[in-house]
Amino acid sequence: MTLGSTPADRIERHKFVDRAYHWTMAVAVLILLVTAFLPILGVKFEWVGIHWVTGLLLTFIVLFHIIRACFWQNFWAMMIDGEDLKAPFAKPGKYNLAQKLYHLAISVLILAAIASGLLMWRKVDTPFWQRDPYWLSDKSWGLVYAIHGLAGMALVTMVIIHVYFALRPDEWQFTRSMLRGWITRKEYTDHHDPRRWPKS
Amino acid sequence: MSLFRYASSIYGGSDTLIGANYGLLPWFALLGVAFVIAHAVFKAVAAPSKT
Repeated sequence: MTLGSTPADRIERHKFVDRAYHWTMAVAVLILLVTAFLPILGVKFEWVGIHWVTGLLLTFIVLFHIIRACFWQNFWAMMIDGEDLKAPFAKPGKYNLAQKLYHLAISVLILAAIASGLLMWRKVDTPFWQRDPYWLSDKSWGLVYAIHGLAGMALVTMVIIHVYFALRPDEWQFTRSMLRGWITRKEYTDHHDPRRWPKS
Repeated sequence: MSLFRYASSIYGGSDTLIGANYGLLPWFALLGVAFVIAHAVFKAVAAPSKT
């Protein structure tokens, strides 16, 4: 019998709704990066429509995640606390310091991309409005485009790092939990402090 | 290499910021790859996995 093969040996780490959010966000970010950067690299196609529709989807699911994290999840489980800083390599709670730092960085980049992207949406013809390139001054548009572009390029770095950790065998418990929702009881006792992430 | 792209003013004024410099895209990708290699080497040499 393999570990985790019975429900009694499993510790729930991510509910289905949170896994669905994660994978929807992953697909959205990949579509956004491909539609943003392939044309710059010389692959020409009609990318604007796909890009803004996917960006709008990303905006809605990130909003959903923020609301869910604030009211239905343990918001503080992802926040860096004093114990993380005092003993960064001690057994963590649900998330270790590296995961919290990654989440913080990706949150800043995604929110910057969304905020600037929503402003840039004003320069695109949509079913809701005609484009208005004079909505902001040239200087302001330049700043908005710079933030959007830098956030997008930094997301390329972050995606590479994220995929690497997801594929590392010693991180497989986290990848499996994002696919199937659980870690084994042994993984829980070996890698987590039950005081900081209590599970029965 | 600048982080930003600028447009020259046809009226002789100061250049205007128009966005990020996408010539940096390969460097951002390389930064990710460099992190991956550095971490993999560190884990293999200095902190081998117990699992």
